[in-house]
Amino acid sequence: MTLVLQTLLDGLVLGGVFSLAAAGFSLIFGVMNVVNLTHGIFVLIGAYLAWSAQHFLGVDPLLAIPGVMAVLFAAGYAYQRTIIQSAVDRSSLLASLLVTFGVALVLRNLLVLAFGPDFKSITPSYAFTNLKLGALTLDIVRISALAASLGLIALLAFVLYRTDWGRVIRATAQQDFAAGLCGVNVRHVYGLTFGVASAFAGAAGAVIGIVLPFAPPDEGHWTMKAFAVVVLGGVGSPAGALLGGLLLGLINTFTAQFIGPAFPNAMMFLVLVLMLLVRPHGLLGSAFGGSR
Amino acid sequence: MSAPILSTRGLTKRFRGLTAMSDVDIDVPAGSICSLIGPNGAGKSTFFNLVTGYVAPSAGSIVFAGRRIDGMPTDTINRLGIGRAFQISKPFPGLSVRDNVRVGALFGADGDRDPDAVTEDAMTLAGLAGHRDAAASSLTVGFLRRLELARAIATRPRLLLADEPCAGLNPSETAEIVDILRRVRARGLTVLLVEHDMRAVMEVSDHVFVLEAGRKIAEGPPQRIARDPAVIAAYLGTDAEDPG
Amino acid sequence: MKGRTAAILAAGAVLALLAVLPAFVMPYHVRVGQLFLLSAGLALAWHILGGFAGYWSFGHTAFVGIGAFTAGLLHVHLKLPPMLGFAAGTLLGGCVSAAFAAVIAYPVLRLRGIYFAIALLGVSQVLGELSQNVDAFQGALGLNLPDIVPDAIRPEVFFYYCFLALAAGIFAFSAWLRGSRLGYGLAAIREDEDTARMLGVPTERFKVLTFVLSAALTGTIGAVYAYSLGYFTSGSVFRVDFSLNMILHALLGGIGTLAGPVIGAALLVFVTNVLLGRLLDVHLLVTGVLVVGLVLLAPSGLLGVLRDWRARWRRNERP
Repeated sequence: MTLVLQTLLDGLVLGGVFSLAAAGFSLIFGVMNVVNLTHGIFVLIGAYLAWSAQHFLGVDPLLAIPGVMAVLFAAGYAYQRTIIQSAVDRSSLLASLLVTFGVALVLRNLLVLAFGPDFKSITPSYAFTNLKLGALTLDIVRISALAASLGLIALLAFVLYRTDWGRVIRATAQQDFAAGLCGVNVRHVYGLTFGVASAFAGAAGAVIGIVLPFAPPDEGHWTMKAFAVVVLGGVGSPAGALLGGLLLGLINTFTAQFIGPAFPNAMMFLVLVLMLLVRPHGLLGSAFGGSR
Repeated sequence: MSAPILSTRGLTKRFRGLTAMSDVDIDVPAGSICSLIGPNGAGKSTFFNLVTGYVAPSAGSIVFAGRRIDGMPTDTINRLGIGRAFQISKPFPGLSVRDNVRVGALFGADGDRDPDAVTEDAMTLAGLAGHRDAAASSLTVGFLRRLELARAIATRPRLLLADEPCAGLNPSETAEIVDILRRVRARGLTVLLVEHDMRAVMEVSDHVFVLEAGRKIAEGPPQRIARDPAVIAAYLGTDAEDPG
Repeated sequence: MKGRTAAILAAGAVLALLAVLPAFVMPYHVRVGQLFLLSAGLALAWHILGGFAGYWSFGHTAFVGIGAFTAGLLHVHLKLPPMLGFAAGTLLGGCVSAAFAAVIAYPVLRLRGIYFAIALLGVSQVLGELSQNVDAFQGALGLNLPDIVPDAIRPEVFFYYCFLALAAGIFAFSAWLRGSRLGYGLAAIREDEDTARMLGVPTERFKVLTFVLSAALTGTIGAVYAYSLGYFTSGSVFRVDFSLNMILHALLGGIGTLAGPVIGAALLVFVTNVLLGRLLDVHLLVTGVLVVGLVLLAPSGLLGVLRDWRARWRRNERP
């Protein structure tokens, strides 16, 4: 029983991180119908920025999150307005897949050149404290990671549903043409969407950094995880990302614990493929459904 | 009137809560040109989608040339002899005009054929012979409509469903389309037309069916339909200020 | 028809040139040539589904892996004489790939666009991990294949010709396919599947058939590739970069064209192995820049750009 509870708890922590890492990917996919294969790199850049903040400046990784988000927001906005937009203009959306893949290769290479190919991890000051709750062990690090993930997803939901930016983004997702007629600068909105999504990817990276080791080749991994989360939960909404992420986290830890440590990825893809066949729009469907 | 080539009985389609078509009986006599008219949302497109197997009926039957076809896949229905020209032209943009038509000639109704001859014939019939090698993506709206018809004709159907072939065309282009439809009928094909252009409908049809809100409210020869008070109230009345 | 004769002559000339090449170049360059022919064969096999039918698989390495493991396990369990084992393994590698594709075809081909692409990526990942973690497959430990190269011939030359035969065969098959009834049906499916159905194209049957064909050819290459390695693990045949390169090569040369995948493979293999052979540090960076540049500057591939230029030139010629 304790084992099941402990696995459940670990799954939730992992799931929270997955949710946060997927939220931005889901937003871009939902609003622009672009599958952003650069997403995993943005997550990693967030992790490396948080690592640098601690390594060079001694700033706690979780406190570095606002700074990380600001940097990635700017990068994401610029990225969309230049490369992504011209790819979407010039050719099919499937080709934007290739462009983002190409950029991911470039950035991965740059990360290796800058930080080396080896795994890094962030150890905050409270890394080795833990609470005992009966037979359960609660690391402070993991609990704060879970709290940070949930808090940031709530923040994203707030931005999307309670601010003007969010309203414009959602309106554009549903009817870009009509939004354009209403005086919305659609390109600017797409830039904002990319900026917001990248900022949250970076935040996810900072949180990931304190619970898991990371290295440049991981980026593909994180992009795939984000895709799996979106397929499970549904496109475009923070709630879908949360549901899909938590499910994926649980699938991960339970498979590792009860089937074998080598199988979580195989299980994840099995569930992914089955889900695509049964309910291709995810458990919650598309947040912007009906428009396409 | 000759025996029907297409007949539906009690044809009904519900989408979740919405009833798009209820209890529609339609008999299309072989060798005729019939029209299906009605205000927007009356169920004309739903009727075409049901007959061509894009959606399955919730109830009722569709019999084509003596066979039940409801529930059959679209490609099988086409091979049995129903062709469809779409309202929104759907050419294969990456292919030439000739190759577009050739797809229809290579597939379509069962039986022997010479694809080259069928392709040429369908292009000539639709007045496309001069545009063989043009890319489908370079055609104007009028020629796209012809391509749509040529491709459907190349599948050698016995019944041709034409979904608003004149929408958005000017009077001379419309006259040309009407002319193509007449030539199609002269070859023994049956034509079922959905059309908003009332002049074209009145001019070309032998028989008209009127749908409103998913029900058939009238049918008969065009002159009688034009005088039918129920039709005028439901359809022509609202359309009278908006000719064209 | 004149254009067609010219095309056949050009293809024949290229084939003849490739056939005599190993006699004149250094062993290292024969190996580069071998890699080019392997890549071209894979890109051509992928292109039968991705280029003709428009179903972009992001996991075609699954079939390379199935072919390789079929050949490897066949050898482990039956210990046939080397040459017979090679022939049987290659044949069976294609068959098992085809059978596997036939099993998953019905469900995965209901998906379209990006969803199909990712489903196949998922399939390839699952297979890769299973081959590594299920002991019966020995994918983590690795499988050994016997040396089948006759004494009179150098191994890189032998496999150069194996891959040349495969690539040329698949190219000829593609050329036939494109002009066939099946080819027209696939073009219709690629352009607009719903409309294709209304023209009587049996879309389901054609898609399954094409998927199975593409998988069979990829699996055959996979089996030969396994023999060319001699020793392989899961990681050497279930490779995401295989899947991606197949797409890149086809896209670089021009999707939907016959020679596109071959030209793309030639260019990319040349750039990465000859020009960048010594710059391993920035390999990914350059590949990435190339991909981005390609999509932004030549979205329809090199052959597409060429075609556009020719069209513009002709227009200018007769004003």
